[in-house]
Amino acid sequence: MEELFAPPAYQWQRLSPKYRSMRRLTSLVVPPVLFTIPAVIVGVTSGRWWISGLIWAAAIVIVIARLGFVTRSWRSWGYVEREDDLYITHGVMFRSLIAVPYGRMQLVEVESGPLERAFDLASVTLKTASPETGAKIPGLRPDEATRLRDRLTELGEAHASGL
Amino acid sequence: MTASQPPQHTSSPDPVVTTAGPPPGPADRSLKQTERPHPLTPFVRGWLIFVAIAIGWGREIVTSAGEDQFNAGGLTWILAILGVIVVLAAVTGFVAWYFTRFVIDDEELRIETGWIFKKSTKIPFERLQSVDIIQPLAARMFGLAELRLDAGNSSTKLRYLSRGKASRLRDYLLTRAHGERASVRDLDQQAAASIFTDLGTTDQPLVQVSPQRLILSFLLSSEWLIPAAMTIIIFVVTASLGVVPFALGALIPLIIGILTLIWRRVIGMFNFTLAESPRGLRITRGLTNLTSQSVPINRIQGVKTSQPLLWKLQGWYRVDVDILGYAQGESEDNESNASSVLLPVATLDEVEVAIGRVLPGFDLDAIELHPSPTRARWLRWFDFWTLRYGWDERTLITEQGWFTHVRDVVPHAKTQSVRIEQGPLQRLLRLADVHVHTPRGPVNAVAHQLDERTARELALSQLDRARAARAAERQRRAVETVRPDDHQGETELLAAFGTSRDQLLGAGGESEVFAIDHERVLRLYRSRHEAPRHTAGQLHGLYRSWAGSDIGLELPLILDIGERNGRFFTVDRRLSGRNFSGWLQHADMAERRPALISFLDATERLQQLPSPVPGFARLVGEAAPQQFSTLVELLSSMLQGPLRSSRSQLERDIPEVAEVWNRLHGELAQRSVAPAMVHGDVCPPNAYISQGPDGPVVTGIGDFSPHTVHADPVLDVAGAVIFLELEPYADAAADAAWLEAVAVERHGREIVRWIDTYRRFYGFYFSNAYAFDPHLYAWCLRQLSR
Repeated sequence: MEELFAPPAYQWQRLSPKYRSMRRLTSLVVPPVLFTIPAVIVGVTSGRWWISGLIWAAAIVIVIARLGFVTRSWRSWGYVEREDDLYITHGVMFRSLIAVPYGRMQLVEVESGPLERAFDLASVTLKTASPETGAKIPGLRPDEATRLRDRLTELGEAHASGL
Repeated sequence: MTASQPPQHTSSPDPVVTTAGPPPGPADRSLKQTERPHPLTPFVRGWLIFVAIAIGWGREIVTSAGEDQFNAGGLTWILAILGVIVVLAAVTGFVAWYFTRFVIDDEELRIETGWIFKKSTKIPFERLQSVDIIQPLAARMFGLAELRLDAGNSSTKLRYLSRGKASRLRDYLLTRAHGERASVRDLDQQAAASIFTDLGTTDQPLVQVSPQRLILSFLLSSEWLIPAAMTIIIFVVTASLGVVPFALGALIPLIIGILTLIWRRVIGMFNFTLAESPRGLRITRGLTNLTSQSVPINRIQGVKTSQPLLWKLQGWYRVDVDILGYAQGESEDNESNASSVLLPVATLDEVEVAIGRVLPGFDLDAIELHPSPTRARWLRWFDFWTLRYGWDERTLITEQGWFTHVRDVVPHAKTQSVRIEQGPLQRLLRLADVHVHTPRGPVNAVAHQLDERTARELALSQLDRARAARAAERQRRAVETVRPDDHQGETELLAAFGTSRDQLLGAGGESEVFAIDHERVLRLYRSRHEAPRHTAGQLHGLYRSWAGSDIGLELPLILDIGERNGRFFTVDRRLSGRNFSGWLQHADMAERRPALISFLDATERLQQLPSPVPGFARLVGEAAPQQFSTLVELLSSMLQGPLRSSRSQLERDIPEVAEVWNRLHGELAQRSVAPAMVHGDVCPPNAYISQGPDGPVVTGIGDFSPHTVHADPVLDVAGAVIFLELEPYADAAADAAWLEAVAVERHGREIVRWIDTYRRFYGFYFSNAYAFDPHLYAWCLRQLSR
């Protein structure tokens, strides 16, 4: 199974462990917040607070499921810079491996939202002329992200090829 | 002010430095003539406003019919407001028209718009990708047409022109876009194109879709049958239950959908003609709005043929293409935009004709198609038997679908990225999908449900094929740019200097040199980019700084720099004598050996030339003058550019290339030397020989270039010896060995080591020759494997 998505003769680069922490936090916080709103509305309007209790219970189940999933999801991410192309893999249930030739990269973006900054993380996105490419590596250390961007830009220029 | 300053500065006392204006010649500039669009333009552009007003007014009258009392006053008000809107629209329309001017002549294409905020758009002819003529119904009634110019990412509209003028200008612009020289004046005599199809007399129709076939194919297509059947079923069921009004929510969108479909597929594609014109493929179509669009073949990224089930009866196919940059407008009104339809409905023969034009050499029968494994039936029970994929050396094909059979064809050179995907069920069955990504458009090549090992192999090998195809494409482009297509312009340019192709003295990678007279030569650069202008400017400064130093050798001098007919040139002083390389081929050994000694002398004399900067430095090129603290740093910087393109090639050809590289750096680090002027490419083709008192001697060295540096003078001594091996005469290698012995006699045994080191350096330095000069590249490999 592993070999279908393994890069040829290379080791995957993994994401920063802080990404796992961030995903844990979002898994812990987001479902309860989302479920509390309908729970409170149902409780206040109908007065049947046991329904709200069920909704909260559902939220807790989802939190536990997602927490169990975070590590596997985090571990499933990997990328590797080969001579001519960049490989990215991710996915636990639905797995994918994408290979982007440097010669086809049009744009390399580094992004870091407020939450990501709080965890000292950044993500790198590669764009080609194809909208389907969608090659994004989340959860990198900022220095690794800028290194990757500079390296990819440099390689992109070296391999550049017209459309 | 250093000597490498580009000559653009106007304070230069040298009167011959002219960068602006054409050189003296017979071609005088005709007076610029700007034109405005057709005077009917404001009316045609404003017709929508008139229609809106008419509808609004009409509705107002209808609704007010019952209540005269109240509305008499209101109507006046509304009329007054409408009147103001009409006047405003007329004024803005007029102003927009009045301030729109365009110039399309032999020199430029420029469009100026705006009254308060002026905007002037100048489009270089070479950048034009396509020129389309679009005639919306209103414009068509007045015999007007819109010219849409597509240059890379931007699209410029020129509206409206009279139809005849639009089609003449289109032909002219397409001619120019192909790099050919034409004059606007020649076009006036051309016969006008037909009103209904916009085909000129020179156009050869390839495929014409008759109205009967278009309508029948539409009626048989799944896109029409399904919504039509649904509409009828919903209507019949609800009518029998007597609840039609409740179903309107579903019926109205369906009917609107059907009407838009008819509009796009029948009215928009009416009279569809694919024709071959002298300027490539052209599509004309449309019943009310006539669109005439050229198909930019080099921008096609993929081809898709599809066949709805019922079309099998007639053997019909539809062909779509991905055209770079077209898809953005897809959601807009299709009928007035360039669309990605190559053929709306065609027989197999016609499809083959069309595909033969857009993908020359494509032969479906020659490609072996592989089916997906039968266990795919668990996931694709509805069409598993139609899943196929295959490839040849140029394209990848995927097929799928039973209700509508779709075949996607992607040329390897256009592959953007590759993705393997596997869901949980697929994992159980050991299946995976492979997506081959192309730019936005209808083509979507996915090989579904392959065995996972096959999928991986297909994806990885597709990357290799794409890489090879890109390299081949690059090479093809390099060859194309080297061979200028602008023959007429070149002939004119040469004629303006009183020279011609027969006077060709020599040609290098960057430029060709023509004799003007005994004193001067014309150096014509091949590249159309800015780089030669920059280089020539620096060389001009360098040569002038050497004018005072007499080293007993003729050196070049740039007399004039300019640009004409899109080509960049310099006028150089002609070095006396014959080209050394040509002379060597016919000389016998007794003559050759003394001449080679004088060649070595000349090379060694070059190091006496002054450098504009102290220390190790690159003197010519983009970042020059660029200084380095050590020799290794300078040489590494020089190797960076070539290696960027040749690295993977070298790794393929020389397994231990990393060792060679480390060894070179180790050796260079031990070299300690004071920097001196280094030509960087001292070889017989760059040297000139004249008859001296004691026989032929090398009297001049030309062609300083971005290779020129301030560095170790042994670089040139080594170059003089080792480049001799590249000469095409029989004893060249023997002569090179002999010349090396001479160098050893002069400089001692030590020099052998450094010549060997610089062999490796030059081997790396010229290794990007793999893309254009196999002979030179083979030489590089020999140097690196020694």
